[in-house]
Amino acid sequence: MSITKNILEVDELQKWFPVRSGVFSLFGEKRFVKAVDKVTFSIEEGDSLCIVGESGCGKTTLARTILRLIEPTGGKALFRGQDITNMNREELQQMRLRMQLIFQNPFEVLDPRLPVRTLVGEALAIHNLVEDEDELEKRVLSVLEDVRLVPAEDFARRYTHELSGGQLQRVCIARSLILRPHLVIADEPVSMLDASIRTEVMNLMEDLKNEYGLTYIFITHDLAQARYIGNQIIVMYLGRIAEMGPMEEVIQNPVHPYTKALVSNVPIPDPDEERHRIMLPGETPTPIDLPPGCRFQPRCQEYGEGCQREEPELREVAPGHFVSCWR
Amino acid sequence: MHVLKVDDLTTHYYLGNRPVRAVENVSFTIDKQETLGVAGESGCGKTTTAYSIMRILPANGEIIHGSVRLDGEELTTKTEEEMRQLRWRSASIVFQYAMNAFNPVLRIGEQIVEVMMEKFEVTKEEAVNVVAGLFDEVGLEPSRLRDYPHEFSGGMLQRAIIAQALSCDPKLIIADEPVTALDVIVQNKILDLLRSLQKKYDLGVLFITHDLSVVAENCESTAIMYAGNIVEKGSTSDVFKRRLHPYTHKLVGAFPSITGPKKRLEFIPGTPPNLLNPPPGCKFHPRCPFAEDICKTSEPEYLEINPGHFAKCHFAGQLELEG
Repeated sequence: MSITKNILEVDELQKWFPVRSGVFSLFGEKRFVKAVDKVTFSIEEGDSLCIVGESGCGKTTLARTILRLIEPTGGKALFRGQDITNMNREELQQMRLRMQLIFQNPFEVLDPRLPVRTLVGEALAIHNLVEDEDELEKRVLSVLEDVRLVPAEDFARRYTHELSGGQLQRVCIARSLILRPHLVIADEPVSMLDASIRTEVMNLMEDLKNEYGLTYIFITHDLAQARYIGNQIIVMYLGRIAEMGPMEEVIQNPVHPYTKALVSNVPIPDPDEERHRIMLPGETPTPIDLPPGCRFQPRCQEYGEGCQREEPELREVAPGHFVSCWR
Repeated sequence: MHVLKVDDLTTHYYLGNRPVRAVENVSFTIDKQETLGVAGESGCGKTTTAYSIMRILPANGEIIHGSVRLDGEELTTKTEEEMRQLRWRSASIVFQYAMNAFNPVLRIGEQIVEVMMEKFEVTKEEAVNVVAGLFDEVGLEPSRLRDYPHEFSGGMLQRAIIAQALSCDPKLIIADEPVTALDVIVQNKILDLLRSLQKKYDLGVLFITHDLSVVAENCESTAIMYAGNIVEKGSTSDVFKRRLHPYTHKLVGAFPSITGPKKRLEFIPGTPPNLLNPPPGCKFHPRCPFAEDICKTSEPEYLEINPGHFAKCHFAGQLELEG
């Protein structure tokens, strides 16, 4: 594996949030929410990586820690070989131009008092990346055309309340793309949109990937959707990677008992399909007091000897397909 | 006799004097032990239909005409006081965000007991006993009756809401996106629970969701709504496999699946119409790939094309909608 092919390498990245509960915690042991716990993976230039898992598994915290919107408490993240975790403010700002984040809810992130022209162009202006107003206008219109908001002059004048959900999300995409990023991290980019519009945005992102030469990290809770937008997948459970590998292989032949359960529970839009659901007992524990050994062990259907003793590390079961399980 | 029979229901909201035609000429029935899934995109009128049945519309909403018969009783002509008596007892509703359905400063048990004491002549002790039994039935420790809502997880709250919905022995449960906010594994547990209780208590369920996959797996019959109308209705396998309406066809094609070959997903160009000013003719015609001149001028009728399988399209049965 050559280093130059990987746009991002994450090495034992960790984010523990301290918990304070009551007066006695002053004397007792300090406790932590282990939101992201020693996560290691890499992503190649041009890939679409989906990070999936249930709410609270740490997928959003992972994304934010990579961008250093949240400070990591351990580990490293290398963007094109440069360590993000010890960059200073200026370096970080430069790096973030190349690495953009798209949020889940387009209704919340866009300022309703500004026209689309300003919303899309403001990052260029802030970073002094354009010579004058004319160039700014040209760049804004061209990126609006790229996200298929045409006629661009018309959309540039509009305010957010004059746009539909799908159009708003395309404004968000345009806002990121105008900086010509290399890596785009999209946190549930279509989950707020209706089904008939969702695909349109997903297809658009696919097309833009080729036009702009992008690498994507998608964060989603929906495995079926992940299958359509990614070629690589990471399944997280309680702050750790349970399984990762090529998308089709992981979905068709899951190895980790948690992935198996997750896949078996995804609803299928076909009433004739016979399902064999794997029902997990109990609920996901809190990431504060983790069970001993493998963190999935109390709910695992394939639990056996050794699972309580030590936390399993990721091991390769097929080329590029990694699983953290003792079985 | 049907548990619920809705005929020609039309509900408008008023913005000033201008009507928003949220629900128009909606008709369907639900039998005992039947689950009818009502699916459609945001703003298609599915929640308004539910709120019209329960008569809990906001102040600017009004049922213009139509009839709602619950167990033979007409609801649209009842007074507010009579409706208040009926809610929970004859029909109860399970809302999407369980978090918002309970008062955060009262114990969960108290809130359910309160409803029972309001509706029936029971002592507090009797009510507590019933609720403890229901908690056990929905898979919650009866001791947790004394917990506050924040001490419950999302799945547990949804179970508590189901217990509350059952507490007054209704005939119909309206479930408005009951599992949308939950993770898939918890989601299936709640759906299984709902189904087993439905069989046990002989309930009719009106199941509202935007997720066709959940409908496919959980409902006997399906109604697809678009812009305030039911555009297609029938048994779930008819609606999914022998589609009659182009909108159903496109919508089903837009849902990704983890099984089968990975084919390119469909999308429907454009957006749903503004119901203040809906297009003439068929409301779907501006987005319909099969639209002809007649669709632009005349509104299609809602007809039974095959036994039990209805559609509102001029060309229903004549189009080739594979799947």
